[in-house]
Amino acid sequence: METNFILAGFGGQGILLAGTVLANAFMLEGKNVTWYPCYGAEMRGGTVNCEVVVSDTEVSSVHKQDTDYALVLNQQSFDRFVQRVKKGGTIIANSTLVAESKPRNDINYVFAPMGDIANSLGTSKVTNVVSLGVLSSVCNIVSKEYLAKGVEKVLGEKKKDLLPLNEKALANGFDALLTKV
Amino acid sequence: MADKSNEKVLIKGNYAIAQAAINAGCQCYFGYPITPQTEIGEYLSGKMQELGRAYVCAESELGAINMVMGAVSTGVKAMTSSSSCAVSLMQEALSYASSDELPVVLVNVMRTGPGLGYIYPAQGDYNQAVYGGGNGDYKLIVLAPSTVQECVDLTYRAFYLAQKYRNPTMILADGLLGQMMEPASFGEYPYPEVDVSSWALTGAKGRDARKIYSVATDEKKQIQHIYDLHKKFEVIAENETTYEEFNTEDADIVLVAFGSMTRNIKAAMNVLRAKGKKVGCFRPVTLSPFPYKALKSLADKGKDLVVVEMNMGQMLKDVKYAVEGKVNVSFVSRPCGEWLSVEEIVDAVEDIMVSNTSKSIQPGSVKEVSYAAARA
Repeated sequence: METNFILAGFGGQGILLAGTVLANAFMLEGKNVTWYPCYGAEMRGGTVNCEVVVSDTEVSSVHKQDTDYALVLNQQSFDRFVQRVKKGGTIIANSTLVAESKPRNDINYVFAPMGDIANSLGTSKVTNVVSLGVLSSVCNIVSKEYLAKGVEKVLGEKKKDLLPLNEKALANGFDALLTKV
Repeated sequence: MADKSNEKVLIKGNYAIAQAAINAGCQCYFGYPITPQTEIGEYLSGKMQELGRAYVCAESELGAINMVMGAVSTGVKAMTSSSSCAVSLMQEALSYASSDELPVVLVNVMRTGPGLGYIYPAQGDYNQAVYGGGNGDYKLIVLAPSTVQECVDLTYRAFYLAQKYRNPTMILADGLLGQMMEPASFGEYPYPEVDVSSWALTGAKGRDARKIYSVATDEKKQIQHIYDLHKKFEVIAENETTYEEFNTEDADIVLVAFGSMTRNIKAAMNVLRAKGKKVGCFRPVTLSPFPYKALKSLADKGKDLVVVEMNMGQMLKDVKYAVEGKVNVSFVSRPCGEWLSVEEIVDAVEDIMVSNTSKSIQPGSVKEVSYAAARA
């Protein structure tokens, strides 16, 4: 069983980091995983994305045409990647910056105000981690517990003081669809 | 981030190569930035300083490779890394290093060419790596990793083989492998240290002076030198040729790829097997020396081959050479950029199993393909 994710947003929103946390979570859970970024002449404010593939067996290909899940944090990414979601797949969008539209009727939509949830924690910088919390609440194979371990691993010893804030961001993201901010 | 433990870490191919070089005992790194391999230099710029080893951001790629030649001539391990168009600048030095029998280690994380090309991943430097861009009769040892774990394992092996045979050795990776992350573990450098005391330039105190040079004014000596280099490479081919085979035993048709395309042909094989098609995979680990014998033995068993590459048919020629026209050799390719998807390979192989033609696939247009008949 193989599942892939595209994470996308503005440069500076922490998309590559969110993908890294997700991939670490899968690795710590003992799964096969790859992470592949768009790379090259990217810039702050431009769009950025990365692709995470997780599999019980060897990952088949690192970079795919379509995706099971798209996690998008801004409007441009929504417009671009809504086209690449597989039939029956799911797009999960940050409704703080993305209009709640449904241009296709063969995929699932999840809108959560990830930016507002992050702001309520005092900083928009954790929007990316909030988004992972939302992802784990709608996607069974993404474990909240291992995401927390992934965050811890990525922050490392140096930034350990940021762990409580990020854990809170994960938890609030996970609960986002149950409660309104 | 990473160390010598066996614990798995999620790491980029470029960083994996860099850390493996450190573990292998690389004392000096000389390089010049270029996408998609810049992370190798970035990583080493900090780590080498911490370890009291040498990191030099050279003035050019030409400078970098010549600095490596200077460093390794003293018997220490050293390397440089670069990408396609800049590796072209190093070809003269590789010819000299081959003649001088210097254990240069060079990493090429391929991007698109010819010319400046761009940063998209590609596999277009096979010919340059395997057949050389420098003058004269020489061969590099060329290792092609297919996963991030192999970026570690083959970097270890490159340092060992370079010194063991006193031959320049290249790790031929690609932009996809350099940029992607995957779990990998490092462990200790697994090879013995090679004794370099018989040739290294360490100062002539207490012994006769040594010279390492490639100028050969004496015709007889030069003839002998070329014979010796050639003979050395025959020994390398005998001892060090490595490859992987998957499900070839009962296969009617075998997919052949190198580097990170290996993952995609294995996945395509699994899809085709599930459809009841008897498909296998073959993957050279060493591109030079190339596993001619192993491919010939597949041809002797009557298995048709399909070469899958991100170039216009470079390894294809070696595969055709290996099978001596005994079986059909078809070709599936795209020149660069988005890696051929599993679905595209499956589609192409199914067509080939019917018609035995080759195809070049445009991105995003699986069904609209141009056919060009090409039988081995």
